[in-house]
Amino acid sequence: MLRASISGPLRRLLMTKSHLETPFYGSVVQGSKFTPDYAQYLKMPNGEVGSYFHDVPLELDHNARTVNMIIEVSRWSNAKFEISRERPFNPIVQDNKNGKVRFIDNVFPTHGFIHNYGAIPQTWEDPTVSSSHEGVAGIKGDNDPLDCCEIGSAILSMGDVKKVKVLGSLAMIDQGELDWKIVVIDVADPLASKVNNLGDVENYFPKLLEATRSWFRNYKIPAGKAANEFAFNGQYRDVSETLVVIEECHDSWRHLLRDSETNEDLPQVRRAGAGVVYEAQELPDAPIPPAVGKWHYIK
Amino acid sequence: MGYTARQIGAKNTLDYKVFIEKDGQPVSSFHDIPLYADEANQIFNMVVEIPRWTNAKLEISKEETLNPIIQDTKKGKLRFVRNCFPHHGYIHNYGAFPQTWEDPSSVHPETKAAGDNDPLDVLEIGETIGYTGQVKQVKALGVMALLDEGETDWKIIVIDVNDPLAAKLNDIEDVEKYFPGLLRATNEWFRIYKIPDGKPENQFAFSGEAKNKKYALDVIRECSEAWKNLIQGKAAESKDIELTNTTLSGTSTYSQAAAQAVPAKDVKEDAPIDKSIDKWFFISGSA
Repeated sequence: MLRASISGPLRRLLMTKSHLETPFYGSVVQGSKFTPDYAQYLKMPNGEVGSYFHDVPLELDHNARTVNMIIEVSRWSNAKFEISRERPFNPIVQDNKNGKVRFIDNVFPTHGFIHNYGAIPQTWEDPTVSSSHEGVAGIKGDNDPLDCCEIGSAILSMGDVKKVKVLGSLAMIDQGELDWKIVVIDVADPLASKVNNLGDVENYFPKLLEATRSWFRNYKIPAGKAANEFAFNGQYRDVSETLVVIEECHDSWRHLLRDSETNEDLPQVRRAGAGVVYEAQELPDAPIPPAVGKWHYIK
Repeated sequence: MGYTARQIGAKNTLDYKVFIEKDGQPVSSFHDIPLYADEANQIFNMVVEIPRWTNAKLEISKEETLNPIIQDTKKGKLRFVRNCFPHHGYIHNYGAFPQTWEDPSSVHPETKAAGDNDPLDVLEIGETIGYTGQVKQVKALGVMALLDEGETDWKIIVIDVNDPLAAKLNDIEDVEKYFPGLLRATNEWFRIYKIPDGKPENQFAFSGEAKNKKYALDVIRECSEAWKNLIQGKAAESKDIELTNTTLSGTSTYSQAAAQAVPAKDVKEDAPIDKSIDKWFFISGSA
């Protein structure tokens, strides 16, 4: 009763505080998985619809070197699910081209995505201004939240909100746009306390960093596209530099909230606070096309 | 010739069984399906046990009547292969040649090891993911000789005749040409796959080299002869093997009634796989 009478911004503030204390998020799913109609929305602890992009706090902890991550794609799967820029409340949807849902190709020797893949909430790679970050200065962002590769042993599920430890990053350049890949591990993983930096990743996950770089370089080649490139000659950046990148992208996200009112081309910033509730639909998954099972060999 | 799979029970449980039927009637997956689909063109029938990129160790049962495909167990627990980085599950459609047998009483002159008492193992490399109980027509391309805990365990490398690349693949060198890195990955996969369970690395005969098509055809022929002795009751050691069949009327283990004793199809929803199977094992110095 009290909540109904307080204003939007104040109510949002109160809700944000309550997340920090009880970070329990749900989801509302509409449409059949593997169709363009599918959308998974964030459900706030109070039951209203929120945005994975804007309503889950970043929670950057400089001492523990942790942030929150939203899982979009489970390891060893192919469907390219991602947080929608265009749709109100930024649900997770399957990328599609002219109504045809997108699956990434299997590039030998890997199967599907080789990490639990996702995004860091409340970050944005700004496409409107050149980066000022040393080494990638002059390159504009890809207009998405920061991408994240979680390397723990569990297979995580779409829509999971996980506290993850930052381990390093790779500055991918995709068709001229900057698209950082942040390497992280779920703090709940049995190895999380032992893995603190890139050297530890190489020690406990030998050759994973090399495989990750090849994966990102090659994954669009079977679809007839060029290999992706990397800044810094493909060298991974360390934890402290990566934390700076996350802060920079968090600042860009603040600017996004400020500027979106005057620029319609920017991502949707509609978020929780107005008490919107969506009903879940329970529909069976659509079949995955058999061609998704093909292994592509790059010579 | 219509082969279908008759599933009973839920996948990933001890109750799961897949019988193969011909024209709706259960047959033995080991003894009744002809090895040759087209002998003149050297096209073989293969029984798919394990689809690519899965972990459950499914295999033709030697002990159960009509040899359904079941999940292997150890101390009553279902067996799954571990994921060894960069691989996920099995990296081929894995299965067996019917009407073949690796005779444990016969020591191979070149590998110096005895057979493993199973039908010949087959690795199908085509682009389509198979299913358990599928009978595929395949071309043999080569063979690798795994020495698994001291026994010869041939792995015949084949491709589905319906694969878009099948016409271009005629011998072992074509595999490297069209599937670069696959033979090396196959070698690595079999060497390391038991390491996460605390076992030593497996060894290959011939320094891990894959032998060519001609060699593979010789191995298939030998294992076909061994099976013929087995089914005729002439094998020196065959005590564990269930030989009941529903089509080989000249054998003492022929029984049409056995088909009637097979339960009706009863597909249940897959049981969940234990989360521990999702883990990726990083074995240093392997990849």
